[in-house]
Amino acid sequence: MSRQDHIREFATAALAAGRVDYVIGWKYGYNQSEVVPAFVKDPADVDQLVWNPLCHHNLVTFLKRKMPDPLDAKIGVCVKGCDSRTLVALLQEELVDKDRIYVIGVPCDGVVDRRKLEKEFADEMIHISFSDGKVGVTTRNGETKEFDKDAVLLDVCRLCRYPNPVYADDTAGPPVAEPDRKHTAPDWTDIAEYENLSDDDKQALLEQIYATCIRCFACINVCPVCFCWDKCVNRSRQPELVSQKVGPKENLLFQMVHMFHVAGRCPSCGACDRACPVEIPLYLLHRKMNKELYDMFAFEPGVKLDEKPVLQVFDIKDQFGE
Amino acid sequence: MAEETQTSQAGAQAAGAAPSAAPGDSPTVGTAASGGPRPVKIIGIVCNWCSYAGADTAGVGRFRQPANIRLVRVPCTGRVDPLFALKAFEKGADGVLISGCHPGDCHYSEGNYYARRKFELLERMIHHLGIPKERFQWTWVSASEGQRWQQVVTDFVAGVEKLGPRKGRAL
Repeated sequence: MSRQDHIREFATAALAAGRVDYVIGWKYGYNQSEVVPAFVKDPADVDQLVWNPLCHHNLVTFLKRKMPDPLDAKIGVCVKGCDSRTLVALLQEELVDKDRIYVIGVPCDGVVDRRKLEKEFADEMIHISFSDGKVGVTTRNGETKEFDKDAVLLDVCRLCRYPNPVYADDTAGPPVAEPDRKHTAPDWTDIAEYENLSDDDKQALLEQIYATCIRCFACINVCPVCFCWDKCVNRSRQPELVSQKVGPKENLLFQMVHMFHVAGRCPSCGACDRACPVEIPLYLLHRKMNKELYDMFAFEPGVKLDEKPVLQVFDIKDQFGE
Repeated sequence: MAEETQTSQAGAQAAGAAPSAAPGDSPTVGTAASGGPRPVKIIGIVCNWCSYAGADTAGVGRFRQPANIRLVRVPCTGRVDPLFALKAFEKGADGVLISGCHPGDCHYSEGNYYARRKFELLERMIHHLGIPKERFQWTWVSASEGQRWQQVVTDFVAGVEKLGPRKGRAL
């Protein structure tokens, strides 16, 4: 039984038993080259749910929006390893009611970066299939190509330490093998190149990167742990923290607001990187933040349910600043 | 008020050359009168109960200190949002100094315990953005440590003056 069948089975059972009002999962979009979030209310529609390496969406994002609803909806949600860490981060702060969610954990072998595939073709992709570590792509005018899945994985998946959900009510199929890197210190090599730049080069690069930001709020809206989305200080004009002017300086400050507000919660799931329409490498900031938090406290966000985010507690024995 | 930090620009330059920094040490900084680059501007964020009072003590004690620093008084370092410092840099500050009560001495018992975790992360992120170490500092100065306040400000301003005013920056 494939993981997809497990997801459908769990969803059907939960919907039929009235345990949830709807299940959030993934389904195909216009064609089989893209997956979009699905909200399944009727057990008859459960068959549209899919699971494959295109399912990059972090569906916990929808919980942060649905949960403050006065409606007492009970929600089923599918989570991958990284998504489950964002869910745990929300649970740690009691922002989501554990009794009102039903979590279907999906052990994950890594998600394909659709942008990497897109760049290989001049034409639109209409079908993507997966078999034995290969990714087969068909375009609209019939061109087909095959890639190694490892070559087109998301960059965050290459460094993933938690492929199995850390919190789930039911798990779709057997867990995947824990990677060796889970037992060693996290690997931060993806930001090493940037970190080795001189101060002036960093500033020059940031200025170039953030010149293209259009401040569409996609990174903030899609972020599962950036949740004051209706009263975001980035939108506030009084008091005004971030100017309405659009320029590299303001854009970088805008992004730093996001970073500092999710510090201690962000497990670097990479949803913001994937959502950015102008492909700003946001991982430079959130990976660095997590690196420093790990360095300071040996803390990984969203791993233990009984832990509090590290900036919301203190320890008298901390050794900083003296 | 810490009157000593509010002295005129001329006083700033005179004091800037005080003990630790000889005039020749800061080639990029001249006086407005000589047509050189502008003096550096530094934002100090200090807690009401210790560092602000410490600055006051320094003023009452007539300890000479550079006047490039403008103080913002906050109730507690726990009140300081890391974004205050980033906003100051965005608005063109050449340096940011944050200071509060020593750990254990917080007027609100625990504000600075939370704060120091934030500041440590902030400091590391600021360096990640390509802002040199010398431009940001956080420290503890108590109400009675006028002498220490003088030392902290003098050293910090000397460090920033060595780099000169910021220009062409991403933040």
